[in-house]
Amino acid sequence: MAERSIIDQLDDAVAALAEGRQINPGPELSALAGVAQDLIGLPRDTFKAELQQQFIRRDSMSSPAEQLETNSVQSLSLYMCIAGASAAIDFYREAFGAKELSRLAEPGGRIGHAEIQIGNVVLMISDEYPDYGVLSPQTIGGSSVRIHLEVPDVDAFAEHAIKAGATLVRPIEDQFYGDRSGQIADPFGYTWIVSTHKKDVPPEEVQKEFDKFTHERTAKNSAEAYAVNEDKMRRENRRAVTPYLTVHKPAELIDFVTQAFGGIEHFRAGGSAGGMHAEVSIGDSVIMIGGAEHIEPKPTAIHLYVPDVDRVYERALKAGAKSLMPVVDQPYGERSGGVEDVHGNRWYIATTFAPLQTIAPDLHTVTVYFHPIGAQRFIDFVTNAFGGRELMRHAEGDMVMHAKVQIRDSVIELGEARYPTQPLPTAIYLYVDDVDSVYEQALKAGGVSMLSPTNQAFGDRNAWIKDPFDNVWYIAAPIK
Amino acid sequence: MSQATESDERLLIEAAQMDPSRFAELYEQNFHRVYAYIARRVRDRAEIQDLTAHVFHQALANLGKFKWKGSPFAAWLYRIASNAIADQAKRKVRESSDPAADPSAESSSAADLEEVERRARLFSAVDKLPEDQRRVIVMRFADEKSIREIADELGRSEGAVKQLQFRGLENLRNRLQEK
Repeated sequence: MAERSIIDQLDDAVAALAEGRQINPGPELSALAGVAQDLIGLPRDTFKAELQQQFIRRDSMSSPAEQLETNSVQSLSLYMCIAGASAAIDFYREAFGAKELSRLAEPGGRIGHAEIQIGNVVLMISDEYPDYGVLSPQTIGGSSVRIHLEVPDVDAFAEHAIKAGATLVRPIEDQFYGDRSGQIADPFGYTWIVSTHKKDVPPEEVQKEFDKFTHERTAKNSAEAYAVNEDKMRRENRRAVTPYLTVHKPAELIDFVTQAFGGIEHFRAGGSAGGMHAEVSIGDSVIMIGGAEHIEPKPTAIHLYVPDVDRVYERALKAGAKSLMPVVDQPYGERSGGVEDVHGNRWYIATTFAPLQTIAPDLHTVTVYFHPIGAQRFIDFVTNAFGGRELMRHAEGDMVMHAKVQIRDSVIELGEARYPTQPLPTAIYLYVDDVDSVYEQALKAGGVSMLSPTNQAFGDRNAWIKDPFDNVWYIAAPIK
Repeated sequence: MSQATESDERLLIEAAQMDPSRFAELYEQNFHRVYAYIARRVRDRAEIQDLTAHVFHQALANLGKFKWKGSPFAAWLYRIASNAIADQAKRKVRESSDPAADPSAESSSAADLEEVERRARLFSAVDKLPEDQRRVIVMRFADEKSIREIADELGRSEGAVKQLQFRGLENLRNRLQEK
């Protein structure tokens, strides 16, 4: 029999020690076996951490005797639900120096319960269990609880966490109450306030500064200022390409988008053509919804990223949509399904496979999907009219099956119209720097004028173009 | 114990006497010592844990009575531990009425305390191992899992786990030699 490797021999010795047997290791191994002998009975991480918690919990009690006498709460722990708990534990280890204490996982890896330690605090984590109402921020669409971490050097801590994949939500700054702090978001939907205490500020002074802050904010929010800011903000936050879903019953469509996709209505008013105009945000994007009984509808196809495609698909069906395609794993790295709402809009709902992101890197929550007859000519048109730049294409022979085109800060997607994705001409609100020159360019590229550049009462100068594929483009810029 | 750490410890004790929430720091510094001290005298893990918890609760409850006389805080904790072990032994004798059991508190020789200190250093060194080695060492020695169980749980081969165990023990040996 071949000589066992030193690694195996050491393990034999460890196994013997664990069973309480005496060992007689050779000279090569004796030092290591001695260490192993001393490690038998090593205290468990969970025991040390849990006992420590008992001492930290006494913070608010004036004396230990008092605590023994009262039946007070013994401990308070955060129990975080995270879609992708295992990836989250890896992330917390990398970003915050967390130590894994225990893990109870299903054979498939889904975590029923895990405990990690960050600094001297133990956090509990599990994956989602929708059957038990255990849902993650990704599914709910945010968490109302923010977690505060006190660290010795907040700048270095935040920088390290951001390198590990956190994003900065609020910059690290000196605060009036004596802390230097900021906020970072992890990729799983939780926000962490990170903070270093710099100096003690007397309570009266904190109150004074807080009053000042409240006063300034109230002034800023006074009715007129608010309206102006809100309007300006809406425009500043808007990307170049915004889909304009024009339907007979816009109010019903808003209800659908709210129920099915968690859309948030920001604005509703009479539109310039006598119908309604509304703006609804979904995730990081804004869509416009408008129309009236007398206006020709222009439904839109939209590629929509959500945290959990299966749930959203079900919700959309419940809200009245019909299925175009059941939810399945796609070979291109997404799980997706499709529905058509009662107004004729098609929603291609998707979740990426990438563990730390829900949206494909170059896209946003909402991306418009065109189904022109003659995809190549359509790409030529947006290139010539709006300076579009083709990012990728997947073609079979001459037929463009799927392509992405960048227009300014936005990306649109398209594929040749074919069964069952028949053409679906739509409307787009397109922000540009100079309406007049883009309007001229679009006419030259084959567009037909519906409205020459006009200053509108709501503050935009815009011009309307219909392209050769029956899409309407509202070319716009704020009036200077 | 050097002069610097002695005065540090004194400050920690005084801070904890005024504000019990500061006790956590004393706990952190002395946990492995107390655990190692008890583990040297008691075999059963559940019993070691109960006694360790008892020692720290007693220490916190009586911290106000602690007077700094120049001997390390750990010595005071060892005395609490030694009494607790003796009490437990007496209880057992009463329960089993086994005349062979010796209920008297064992006194600790200098060599004995040196051994406890060495073992406490080893336990603390485990926390400073690279994470993958630390996990294997903790699962193997604290959680008492087999190589196969660890391999299954970590999703690695048994060979890789044995390798990590070997590297971890090597690292621990080197760290202890540095001291």
